[in-house]
Amino acid sequence: MGPVSGLYGIDISVGDHVQRKLFGLTINVDIVWATCIAGLIVIILGLVLRAKATSGVPGKFQLLWEMAVGAVQTQVEDSIGPRGAKIVPLALTLFIFIFTCNLFEVLSIGSKLEWLPAPTSDINLPLAMALFVIVLVHRAAIKNRGAGGYLKHYVAQPFPPKLFFVNAFMNVVEEIVKPVTLTLRLFGNLFAGGLMLSLLAALVIWKLGPAPIGAALSVPFTVLWKLFDMAIGAIQAFIFALLTILYFDTAMAEEHH
Amino acid sequence: MPFATSNFLVPNGTFIVVLLAFIIVLGVIAKFVLPVLNAALTERQEQIRGELAAADQAKADAEEADATRRTELEQARNQARDIVAGANATAESTKAAAVVEAQAMHDRIVASAEAEVAVARQAAVEEVTAKVGAIVLAAAERVIGREINAADHQDLINEAIAAVRTETSGAAAGGAR
Repeated sequence: MGPVSGLYGIDISVGDHVQRKLFGLTINVDIVWATCIAGLIVIILGLVLRAKATSGVPGKFQLLWEMAVGAVQTQVEDSIGPRGAKIVPLALTLFIFIFTCNLFEVLSIGSKLEWLPAPTSDINLPLAMALFVIVLVHRAAIKNRGAGGYLKHYVAQPFPPKLFFVNAFMNVVEEIVKPVTLTLRLFGNLFAGGLMLSLLAALVIWKLGPAPIGAALSVPFTVLWKLFDMAIGAIQAFIFALLTILYFDTAMAEEHH
Repeated sequence: MPFATSNFLVPNGTFIVVLLAFIIVLGVIAKFVLPVLNAALTERQEQIRGELAAADQAKADAEEADATRRTELEQARNQARDIVAGANATAESTKAAAVVEAQAMHDRIVASAEAEVAVARQAAVEEVTAKVGAIVLAAAERVIGREINAADHQDLINEAIAAVRTETSGAAAGGAR
């Protein structure tokens, strides 16, 4: 996309990527490699754990994993119960992978193209994960209620069956909105984080006479923002995993008649 | 501002590649990492459960041993009490027997002493009687040999009787002593 504004003598553009064509499809190469690096980091962390995992006294590294797994398991068991054990790997992977991706933003400097952009700041990865989750959620709902029960669920609630058209409208909208919000929440937060870094970088051109006020402010602001951004990254990863669990909870819930 | 050929809200081919990447990561975590971690967690829980059970067992054993010790101590105390009571009883009976024996011996000694005294007294009396006979005889000879004087006879008789009294009382005193 082109420049957002040239009014203040700065040229901040958004959504710029290193792009290549492959089988007629546009590929954001920088996002692909950042995704692969994030994935490799998670896989390596996992395999290191696999090699070192002990039933004895765990080291700090294993303890970190155990805390994450324990938190996800508690969350799943509290909301879904023992039947939810199958989605623990998905929720855990989502949390760790998204958190790793989000941390890449700490390396960003707010330039037009980053060496290692946060893959979650591009719409493709959040959308891919959200759709993947939602497809599995619907599959779980069909498994739980049967095909007929699954369809009936759209018209039978929350209002009495007489208002089935209202029910159907509300439920369809809700099911469409779920992956959209899941995607945009994550993407929007990380995208905005990157944009903020660009704005802070652009602050450097602000001078009062010869005094480089913008340059002096830019560094501490960037440091502060990055600390804040790390918290945002953790929170967004947590929210994505938590909402995944809650969507499965709704899909796998027993019918209450 | 020309509208770009792509919009940052519209996904492109990247979608497929990153989806595959995510599925691979998910597969590795689900197949190779979590089972190992869960096995370790389960094993540790089992270990802890086992250790707790062992600790409970040890505690129960200790309590049992303590109870046994207490019982044995109580038994030993009772036994000691019995032994002391027995010893006291024995001492009492021994003492009583000794007292009885001593009393008997005392009685015997006293009795034999009294018998001796009686014998001695008898002997003394007989001796005195014999002496008195001789004195009376001598007195009678003197009476017969002299002129009869009632007053003189009376004096002689008194003298003789006094002599006899002195003899017998001296013998009786010696026998009683």
